[in-house]
Amino acid sequence: MDRGWWWKFGMIVAVTLGTIWFLIPSYYSLVVMDRDQRNNLALLQERLPKWAPPAKYRLNLGLDLQGGIHMVMRVDTKTALQKRTERRGQQIATYVADKKLGEVTAETDPEKLQLTLKAKDPATMDAIEKDVLSTFGDFKRISRSGDTLVLAPDESQVNRFREEAVDQAMLVIRRRIDKWGVAEVDVRKLGTDSIQISLPGRSNPEQAKELVGTTAQLEFRMVDDTNPQFFAQMLQTNPAPAGSDITLTDEGGFAQLQSPSREALLEYTKGKVPENRQVVTECIANPMKKNECSSYRTYLLDKAVPLTGESLSGADASVNQMNEPEVNISFDPAGAREFEKLTEAGVGRRMAIVLDDNVHTAPNINEKIGGGRARITMGRMGARTRDEWLGEAQTLALVLKAGALPAPVTVGEIRQVGASLGDELIKKGSLSALVGLGLVVLFMALYYRKAGLIADIALLLNGLLILAGLAFFNATLTLPGIAGFVLTLGIAVDANVLINERIREELGHGKSAKAAVDQGYDRAFWTIFDAHVTALIAGFILFFTGTGPVRGFATTLIVGLLASLFTSIVVTRVIMTYFVHGKNAQTVSV
Amino acid sequence: MQILKNKTNIDFIGKRKPAVFISTLVNLAILVGIATVGFNYGVDFAGGTVVELKFNHSINAADVRERAQKGGLHDVSVQNIGSADENAFLLRMGGVTQLTEENAEKAKKAIEALGPVRNVYADLANGIVNFRSATPMAAETIKKAVEDSGTGVQEVRVLGESQAGAGTDYQVVASGMADKVYSALSAGLEKPDFEQRRVDYVGPQVGKQLRNRGIMALLYSMVAILIYVAFRFDFKFGPGALLAMIHDVIMVAGYYLVSRREFGLTAIAALLTIVGYSVNDTIVIYDRIREDMAKFKGKPLAEVINIAINDTLGRTILTSGTTALSLIGLLIFGVGEIFDFAMAMLVGILVGTYSSVYIASPLTIWLDERAAAKEARHRDQMPKPA
Repeated sequence: MDRGWWWKFGMIVAVTLGTIWFLIPSYYSLVVMDRDQRNNLALLQERLPKWAPPAKYRLNLGLDLQGGIHMVMRVDTKTALQKRTERRGQQIATYVADKKLGEVTAETDPEKLQLTLKAKDPATMDAIEKDVLSTFGDFKRISRSGDTLVLAPDESQVNRFREEAVDQAMLVIRRRIDKWGVAEVDVRKLGTDSIQISLPGRSNPEQAKELVGTTAQLEFRMVDDTNPQFFAQMLQTNPAPAGSDITLTDEGGFAQLQSPSREALLEYTKGKVPENRQVVTECIANPMKKNECSSYRTYLLDKAVPLTGESLSGADASVNQMNEPEVNISFDPAGAREFEKLTEAGVGRRMAIVLDDNVHTAPNINEKIGGGRARITMGRMGARTRDEWLGEAQTLALVLKAGALPAPVTVGEIRQVGASLGDELIKKGSLSALVGLGLVVLFMALYYRKAGLIADIALLLNGLLILAGLAFFNATLTLPGIAGFVLTLGIAVDANVLINERIREELGHGKSAKAAVDQGYDRAFWTIFDAHVTALIAGFILFFTGTGPVRGFATTLIVGLLASLFTSIVVTRVIMTYFVHGKNAQTVSV
Repeated sequence: MQILKNKTNIDFIGKRKPAVFISTLVNLAILVGIATVGFNYGVDFAGGTVVELKFNHSINAADVRERAQKGGLHDVSVQNIGSADENAFLLRMGGVTQLTEENAEKAKKAIEALGPVRNVYADLANGIVNFRSATPMAAETIKKAVEDSGTGVQEVRVLGESQAGAGTDYQVVASGMADKVYSALSAGLEKPDFEQRRVDYVGPQVGKQLRNRGIMALLYSMVAILIYVAFRFDFKFGPGALLAMIHDVIMVAGYYLVSRREFGLTAIAALLTIVGYSVNDTIVIYDRIREDMAKFKGKPLAEVINIAINDTLGRTILTSGTTALSLIGLLIFGVGEIFDFAMAMLVGILVGTYSSVYIASPLTIWLDERAAAKEARHRDQMPKPA
């Protein structure tokens, strides 16, 4: 055996051991732990031996195998756009009147999303058109005849608005699911106007639909600051239950209760506040993980909701002359009146902005605010960078808009698999994979004898490599994935058949055992390579264009083909070389 | 052990003309069938609702259907899945929400009866009725009115006052089909005697998107594979591999067409796998043809191809056999889509092997003969050296 062989042999042993080591978290998550705890990464990490790989490298089971809900929500950007166009139309009419350019009426076509301006006096139309188009840059001219001017929102503006609407909807959906307390939830954008949500372990699609499908509820409510130490006293008279992790914090002179668990806070404060007050929590964002709460804080709010998002007509983030980010909000006429009353009575108090039962911020009211335009200045910069600071302002604007300009969401797709069905599918799926694998292993050993056994070893290693590979890429094993697993093993067998047939052929030509093995491998190499690459091409295209189950299948196929290239070309050859070259054999068992 | 004891010398290429003729005929028949009869599209593509129920006592499909109809579900198909004693059924409905055309009409009338309203229009695809009311209305009132007209309501959304002051906009969102199934089947029961094991609900637009993406994936991979083959081999091999691929895809599509099995995302996955498998098989034979072309210089291409096919025959049978063997588990234990997938793969393996011999190679021969004839013509036209 030469040095090169030993190197290769060492590498194969290392890969095999590494593969087995890498599958330890998966083994713990699927076999050792209870089924309900399968998705509990923290618990898994705790149970894993110190020397095992991190818990996150475990084989995920798809929703079809463990039960849960997959849904796609479509954001109705059209309705939102229609509302926006209508609002802009009124702004244009007011603008024209204010500037004394003439008098126009604005009418919106909900189908085409066009704005038709009709002038009272056609002679004023020229001046109106010029001024309106230069001031309202987000509109472009479609047509004009006499006293009517047809405008449409600019394409790039429409796209930006659509994107914003989807972002808003995602924000709202995340918050709601977070409130529901589902672990391992996955919310992501799908295409231009859809949101994909995975809820493992959940089983009621109607409840899920209701949860994420309703419009966001934005409220402006007064904070009860008459006793800044209210929560401190509560904690003094009623010690928090052991293990609830409730602590007292102080935020600018106001006592607040804080806990990583929202439920614990609400449970503890239940019945301990006056009748007309309510405890509402604020989510403290986790700096390490976007869109997750690291803990929650309490606020004591008035139960009355004087103002809701329906009165809001706009919200934007900007930077003021002092170079501080701020959020500008505007109300419709009725909202403006109510807001003025509210701020007048509440000077010096705080007003909480609440979205879906989550206090987003509670700015101080410095003075009475009339005219329907308010400004929220984003406090001190503190430890935050300017970008973070500005980002916060933008999020707040998004929150306000999410409640004010609802882009309604509708359910595009729901797939729900019950947990018992998932278990049954796992059983059947792995049984079919094992039966297929067993039959092939048996056949190869019978047909090619020693060479067949070698191919079988490679095949088993191939199977382990696929599982480890899926765990490494954090991929999800789905039912079609199991089918992909079986197919890849078929292709791997094909590679071994090609090699062995070649060796037989070379032996038939009267070559020596060594020469036959070497030539068999060399000649089969490019065939195997080409065959694998073409299948890989199909796999990659499947991966990039497919969604859901197709993607799961493609991932398994890609990982499997790469593993098959390694096992059929490298692993079997090293073993074969040992038996033929190392033992200086005159014959080869093929 | 050996499958083919002696070297075979079967004249595959000699029979290529009848083979190509029959294949073309079958392919055309399938294409015509797809165009006229069409696939049995699953919810993935057609949109709709599928609910899988498992009863805790013995019941047959007819009883389930009757119960569903009594509960007000009329256009529902009930299919037994798994073995008979499992008492598991798939219920399939066209719509995704309770808002059918007929219901929408009734809902519209009910809304119009509430007061001066404008622009009442139903968005059936999303299960929403939009309208504008001159005077503000309570959401509860609207909900009750629509529900009394026979459509379950999930939510009434107040979209706010219109800026022009012409009224307030509302949206009535109809509730989904799945809860209707649940309530229809458990009507009159104290506790439902079944478990809702699976709900698939795909809106029509999403279905269309999914289908388009699937077809695009199929086309992209074909083009990519064609480029790879043309690059690795010779131009004249490319079209043969492509044609064989198309042949195989059509044949497997034919399986879905004839068996009336549900054509959904998994079917697309099966077609794509066949693309990969078909070209895999073709390439193994091409590889040998290329090798033999160098070995038997001067022999006509048809003869070389015949030798190559005969040489690789043992491997071809074995490979198809082992891949088919690995599918046996799926065929025995696979349920629903997975069984269909395995079945489609089996069809694909058979036609894939066949097409490498009878579709890919003849086209290569034909292209070669044409190129030779062209060259000969070209030579004839050249002025003869004096």
